[in-house]
Amino acid sequence: MPLLDVKHLQTRFYTGEGVVHAVNDVSFHVNDQETVGIVGESGSGKSMTMLSVMRLIPQPPGKITQGEVMFEGQDLLQLSLPAIRRLRGNRISMIFQDPMTSLNPVLTVEKQLTESIRVHMKLDKVAARDRAIELLEHVGIPAARDRIRNYPHQFSGGMRQRVMIAMGLACDPKLLIADEPTTALDVTIQAQIVELVKRLKEELNMAVIWITHDLSLLASLADRILVMYAGQIVESAPLDQLYANPRHPYTLGLLQSIPRLDEAQKAELKPVDGMPPDLMDYPQGCPFAARCPYVIDRCHTEDPTLEPVSDRPNHAVACWVKPNGAAVLETARAIAH
Amino acid sequence: MTRYILKRILSGIFTIWVTTIAVTLLIHLVPGDPVQIMFAQSQSTTPEQIEQIRSQLGLDRPIYEQYFMYMGRILQGDFGTTIRGNQPVLELLLVRLPNTLALALSALLITMLVGVPIGFFAAYKRGTWLDTSLMTGAIIGISIPSFWLGLMLMYVFSIRLGWLPVSGTDFKNLILPAVTLGLANAAAVSRLTRSSMLDVLSQDYMRTARAKGLAETLVLSRHALRNGLINVVNMLGLQFTYMMGGAIVVENVFAWNGIGRLAIQSIFQRDYPTIQGFILIFATVVVVVSIVLDILYVWIDPRIKYS
Ligand SMILES: Nc1ncnc2c1ncn2[C@@H]1O[C@H](COP(=O)(O)OP(=O)(O)OP(=O)(O)O)[C@@H](O)[C@H]1O
Ligand code: SF4
Ligand SMILES: [Mg+2]
Repeated sequence: MPLLDVKHLQTRFYTGEGVVHAVNDVSFHVNDQETVGIVGESGSGKSMTMLSVMRLIPQPPGKITQGEVMFEGQDLLQLSLPAIRRLRGNRISMIFQDPMTSLNPVLTVEKQLTESIRVHMKLDKVAARDRAIELLEHVGIPAARDRIRNYPHQFSGGMRQRVMIAMGLACDPKLLIADEPTTALDVTIQAQIVELVKRLKEELNMAVIWITHDLSLLASLADRILVMYAGQIVESAPLDQLYANPRHPYTLGLLQSIPRLDEAQKAELKPVDGMPPDLMDYPQGCPFAARCPYVIDRCHTEDPTLEPVSDRPNHAVACWVKPNGAAVLETARAIAH
Repeated sequence: MTRYILKRILSGIFTIWVTTIAVTLLIHLVPGDPVQIMFAQSQSTTPEQIEQIRSQLGLDRPIYEQYFMYMGRILQGDFGTTIRGNQPVLELLLVRLPNTLALALSALLITMLVGVPIGFFAAYKRGTWLDTSLMTGAIIGISIPSFWLGLMLMYVFSIRLGWLPVSGTDFKNLILPAVTLGLANAAAVSRLTRSSMLDVLSQDYMRTARAKGLAETLVLSRHALRNGLINVVNMLGLQFTYMMGGAIVVENVFAWNGIGRLAIQSIFQRDYPTIQGFILIFATVVVVVSIVLDILYVWIDPRIKYS
């Protein structure tokens, strides 16, 4: 049984201008101790999917309208608020993109670190503080015993993200959701944070969901990758498989935009010309049709569902055409040489 | 931080210095001969007396000399005497200053106790009928002049219900003027608090706090209120200035014996030394209290305190 099993998740935002289809029939799972990467361009619904899992969608205007989120045998969408709070920051943690704005500027690191420890682990002040210092040392913050009294703005960006990670790990979660934790950091710091999470994941036996814009970043990190587009998962495959033989035109575009996979180059995800569809006016048929070089008539009328590629049970694609990505990448490389 | 405080104190001293110049010029800004104006109401003054007063006030000398004379006297604590009755101005003002401070500070307290919770709840319930009605109430509150509100409160609580005295000098007499002044500003404070809380509630750290599994009351009291209150303290200085200004009006409505009431009386009597003294004392109090509140702000906001 997977650790997290999401089925047909749907989240909408009811705004004055219209209904935003932010998450559309999303199904995926995460196994115990697995690292799953989620990629997709800005606005594709990566954050909203994971915030829906945590039941942290701002409500109103947001609402989870459908679906099932099974975690350790219970459906999180059916839990009472106190029950979901007992899981948040405890069994499932989430860390966010910008550690400057995601940490409270007027509370010390100690206060912010110990509050979840005290709530979930029921430790007293002294014990919680000891645990917090231990956590800070664990994520590589020097002189943790002194630094714990500091405020977030007294740390550098990379150190702040380490504090954020320490907060995420405070109660030994089974699942850590990292929403673009390195996007706000420069490249060298970025690599350090990736290494840190890899190390911690091994030590703590947890599963990780890592959201990013940057497909190349996942190369050393993820076991499996989900590609999101317009609030849908359009392709899901093990890392090697996805890099070697992508079967969705959008994934193919993403991969072609990365010059060399072995170099951790930061690639802006603008793989295909054109804009994603307006989520307030969701198109009929395949949402990628307007930008797709492989489009056929059927794409305009019928929305493809995520289906396994015939010979690969772990590889699923939502596309009527499923172009042979391996061959396309081969040709592209040949031309480049 | 020390640099900020030092800068704040220096700018305060500068403000008071500018006020002393303005106060010296004041007499000459009013058209006509100041001594004639001062004694226009009393027929009994002889021309000799007028000349004597003129030289006593130094009005027969050049303006810069008048300024230095005035400054010299003020620095020795001599603010002159009243035109009628020859009472020392400084003593007259200092006796009444505590009354005005008591009024302004209790009004400030009422403003905060009423305005901050209203703003907080309006923000937390943004877009609901509660938000709309509270903020509509605040707009109406802002547009009510404080003298009218004062008269209404006086009518209801003193004349109709007979609960509180119309005027006088003990603690009970402070209630109506303080409530009048406090309510008049509570509306504005509630709007300021609302917008500051809306900002705080939409911050990323609120989501982080919820993601930790904290109960909503803790999220609000620890994470939202703390940040919101910093903004509230930030506006205390400005609000206190408003309270001091409003006190002048309200003291006269309720015959509360503060420096504002004295100021209005002095204006009617063209008592220049008292008016000058009032302006100086008023400016000094406003500047000093604002600096103290600003330092308080710096001290409670760690972003400034440790930078
Ligand atoms: N409060 C809201 N009201 C209306 N629409 C919203 C709201 N929050 C998010 N959305 C919409 O939901 C969609 C998905 O947003 P989401 O934040 O999940 O994208 P993302 O993939 O995480 O993008 P990014 O990479 O920029 O973080 C977007 O189109 C966004 O406009
Ligand atoms: S379904 Fe059609 S439009 Fe959509 S990605 Fe496949 S080929 Fe392109
Ligand atoms: Mg996002």
